[in-house]
Amino acid sequence: MADEGHGEGSGGQGPLLICLQGPGAPRLTPAHDLLAGRFRLIVLEPPGASSDTLALAIARPGPETFDLLAASAGAEAALRLALQEPGRVRALVLEAPTLGDGELERRLSEVTAPTLVLVGTRDDAAATEAARRVKERVPDCHLVFVYDAGRAIAAERPEAFAEVVSDFLERHEAFVISRARSVIHP
Amino acid sequence: MKVSFFETVRYLPPQALPAEWPVPSGAYDPEAGARAYRGMIERLAYVEELGFDWVSVSEHHYSPRILSPSPIVSAAFIAAQLRKLTIAMLGPIVPHSNPVRVAEELAMLDTMAEGRLVVGLLRGTANEAMTYDLNPQEARERTDEGMELILKAWTEPHPFGWQGRHFQYRTVSIWPRPLQQPHPPTFALGTSRESLDFAARHRLGCGVSYGPFEVMGKATRYYREQCARHGWEPTPEQILYRANMLVTGTDDEAQALLRAQADQAPFTLRAGVRDAMMALDARNIAGEARAAVVTGALPTTFIGSPDTVVEQVRRCREVVGAGVLDLSLHTPGSEDLEPLTRALELFGRKVLPRIREI
Repeated sequence: MADEGHGEGSGGQGPLLICLQGPGAPRLTPAHDLLAGRFRLIVLEPPGASSDTLALAIARPGPETFDLLAASAGAEAALRLALQEPGRVRALVLEAPTLGDGELERRLSEVTAPTLVLVGTRDDAAATEAARRVKERVPDCHLVFVYDAGRAIAAERPEAFAEVVSDFLERHEAFVISRARSVIHP
Repeated sequence: MKVSFFETVRYLPPQALPAEWPVPSGAYDPEAGARAYRGMIERLAYVEELGFDWVSVSEHHYSPRILSPSPIVSAAFIAAQLRKLTIAMLGPIVPHSNPVRVAEELAMLDTMAEGRLVVGLLRGTANEAMTYDLNPQEARERTDEGMELILKAWTEPHPFGWQGRHFQYRTVSIWPRPLQQPHPPTFALGTSRESLDFAARHRLGCGVSYGPFEVMGKATRYYREQCARHGWEPTPEQILYRANMLVTGTDDEAQALLRAQADQAPFTLRAGVRDAMMALDARNIAGEARAAVVTGALPTTFIGSPDTVVEQVRRCREVVGAGVLDLSLHTPGSEDLEPLTRALELFGRKVLPRIREI
């Protein structure tokens, strides 16, 4: 697995998590630091239009499976990769995804990876609408609103972002069962 | 002008009670409590007959002053027995509630009451923070987040998770949803900049209370400016003003009655508790600081004969911009209900018909 070339950086131990940044998204946020404590992290920023090529180039060499975290326009590349490499993408996290490819949208029902869609409550109506479309079409999909975040959720609410992403990547659909402890005085 | 009767559930104690909040629970008289709720329904039947548009209920705890710790229970009880009045839930206190539960209960109530529901969401009076051990410094933030979650629970068609600051849920998908779509007419209640901003951002009504017209007018002006910034204009019916009204046959009689009323704070706290609360609970009117704890009686802004009161309502409309008045016609805590009945009758016959067109 290569992180040279277009790679922004990597770190951490644990399962491999590839982060596909959308154009213009902050490169590294405190959320990535938090995730790096639990995942082997590779953060990529597409140099140009072809995030697909980049994603495939990263994914192709090894037999390894990985989790995929993609922001805004990077979500389309991540979804295509999940469709092309269903055996290798363990789970998908889409941060404020944007959708513009009708053909891809029609194929969302074929995505087999457990998928988490995050949208900020301060983001615009179009962002919520796009998140709902993914939720409606991808069979195993969870929609989570991140309170008081706009488009750049990881940058604006890093702890909230990292907590739900880590929990989902670890437990997939079982993340709906709370493990929070409420004992005050044992 | 729409007119709402603020129902304060008159509990008449068999013996004098201590003034301090919380009032000892052991001093409660079950029979007096039962009479209070029977009296509420009898009174509201008269309120409905007089032609009031709404009855409002509120949330207060640990005190006989307004015997309604769960306004949703009051509201459901009223809705089941009276067929015309719209029920204005002005509570719930959001920061110490489970917002999803609030959304569910209000949706149930709206459906059962066949759409006769209006909702006001608020932070609550300072003493209520102690009811369920809420940190007063977190109350504002919890209120804002809770209100946003309630709106989301009412309107989001898909099961969703909520990754908040103060609330976290992985699965929310309420049934029933409100009968009124997308949700019942809703007000953010309070004069604070935060509350008014929230109302403007979410296209909700705003509700202010008790203060002089000029001061409340400052809050509603700020609200209208923020609405304009978000590209919309509220209707007069989206501005609610709650106030005390003392209406009697003549102005002199009303002033004499006001002088005779005790200058007692609605919820009296021990000095050390009050001071500590003031230090932690920051309040403001459209950004200008105000005290969190009321130390004297709440002001009576409408006072006098029917003619005088009608003119005051006209000024209120001009200065505050309010299209809904939520009126308390009698000091909560008074032990004599006769003046309330007289005030209701006088208001219903001599004031209400004349302020409709204001």
